[in-house]
Amino acid sequence: MKYLAFFSLLVWHLTSFAQKSVNHRLVFHPMFGDSVLKEATYYQINSNDSIQITALKFYISGLELSYQHKTVWKEKNSYHLMDAFQEGSLTLPLPLPAKLKYDRVKFNLGIDSVTSVSGVMGGDLDPTKGMYWTWQSGYINFKLEGNSNLCKTRNTEFQFHLGGYQFPHNNLQSIFMDMPHQKLDVVIDIKKMVGDLPLTQMHHIMSPGNEAMLLTETVINAMRAKK
Amino acid sequence: MKQKFFIGFFLCVTLCAFHVIDTKLFVSPENWPKPSYDFTQNPLTFESVQLGRHLFYDPILSKNNKISCASCHSQYTAFTHVDHNLSHGIDDRIGVRNSPALMNLAWHTSFMWDGAVNHLDVQALAPISHPDEMGESIQQVVTKLGQSEKYKKLFYKAYGDRVITGERTLKTISQFMLTLVSANSKYDSVMRKQKQFTTQEKRGYALFQKNCNTCHTEPLFTNLQFENNGLSVDTTLNDFGRMKITKNNSDSLKFKVPTLRNVEFSYPYMHDGRFKTLSQVLKHYTNGVHQSETLAKSLDAPIVLSSNDKVDLVAFLLTLTDKKFLFDPRYSFPK
Repeated sequence: MKYLAFFSLLVWHLTSFAQKSVNHRLVFHPMFGDSVLKEATYYQINSNDSIQITALKFYISGLELSYQHKTVWKEKNSYHLMDAFQEGSLTLPLPLPAKLKYDRVKFNLGIDSVTSVSGVMGGDLDPTKGMYWTWQSGYINFKLEGNSNLCKTRNTEFQFHLGGYQFPHNNLQSIFMDMPHQKLDVVIDIKKMVGDLPLTQMHHIMSPGNEAMLLTETVINAMRAKK
Repeated sequence: MKQKFFIGFFLCVTLCAFHVIDTKLFVSPENWPKPSYDFTQNPLTFESVQLGRHLFYDPILSKNNKISCASCHSQYTAFTHVDHNLSHGIDDRIGVRNSPALMNLAWHTSFMWDGAVNHLDVQALAPISHPDEMGESIQQVVTKLGQSEKYKKLFYKAYGDRVITGERTLKTISQFMLTLVSANSKYDSVMRKQKQFTTQEKRGYALFQKNCNTCHTEPLFTNLQFENNGLSVDTTLNDFGRMKITKNNSDSLKFKVPTLRNVEFSYPYMHDGRFKTLSQVLKHYTNGVHQSETLAKSLDAPIVLSSNDKVDLVAFLLTLTDKKFLFDPRYSFPK
């Protein structure tokens, strides 16, 4: 009898796990205009100038779903590092309870201030991921590195490390998108982001401040749900 | 009977899976404020503290495997770097600041002279990565540790498996640093009514309380705040301190108030190590304070001390020396 009870508990456990369907997911698509963003590839930004991206990494955190303006699900320990050149990192499965209704998703670009002052973390937040500043505490919310002939720098490099958790330079941004289906494809169009940047003057941002805040706005504008 | 055996067996396995948290590794001294460090997020165990101690003394943390934390934070000199106004690191490169003394860190809420670091667990990242200090990356440190049989064993002892991560590496270094509590100076014995000050020390203590205690607040001998103590700018460094971090003009020339515990051994003094002796420091406060907009309020009116007062004050400062701390075998190079 005891064994039966234990066995049925086990079955119940297994099925409840199975119900947390991984069909629901968020998929990020780094693009350059109409092309899929690739490593070691030069893209035209205008008739004379070109750009290549050597690193694009960013944090997605605080995943939440809502239905008719009411929050119905929040992910626990919701911190995900996206790496444009590691395709596996770009899909976020949403382990939802069965039959959960939702119509909208919310996520943050970056890491919240509470986490930023709570010491060292593991997993995607481990400082070995290269997304933690060493000389001044705080996460790099968004990292874009590459080369362009427009940058009169060593090896024509540019580096944008955008972050900041302290007032008045708290750089965490929330993004809301309608999510009518199980899968939501989110495009991040780097052409849109860098196209308007004055790369000749602006090529290195490595600390929190007004410039980082402004540039983060351009990242947000470069994100859209794929139709 | 069989059932009881199984229950007992599982209980044993469960207990063995968790290391016993040793409360003796860190004791908050009587009548001190509550520590700021959240020990629940990084509970001290004997094995982790030992691992942290090995890491603290091991030059494996630096790019050329020559510089350890202890290179600039030596126990006998209150875990700082004496004889150098600016500390030097890898390839004899000179940094821009004087290494701070390490003690009673569980009470600190910010680290570095400008408070650039907000938590003890991420503090070690700064010297490890700085090109003039250890010139290494935490990624590379983790790789090197993973190739070391010694560290695989030590991580296994501390964590129950051989997985080495940045998080674990940094947290164990914190564990060792948290055990560095200095609270056994003559001053502490007097406060605990086990000893008495001499007449001279007593006079010095009164002068201290009148003139210094606002910033160097007992019992930590720092208020843990950032203050401008009236040092003129060294134009070879142009270091404006806290302002670099907050980008706020009102923080110009402010530096974190250092503790005065073990001050006898932590020379040279100030963020740039400009003063070699305590009498030079006192002379600064009585005659050398440079006026500026952000000067600490408590220094608006000049501090007046006669030469006898200065001698008495220094006599008191020497009662902050904690020999037990400076020679405690638990903090020394691991054998």
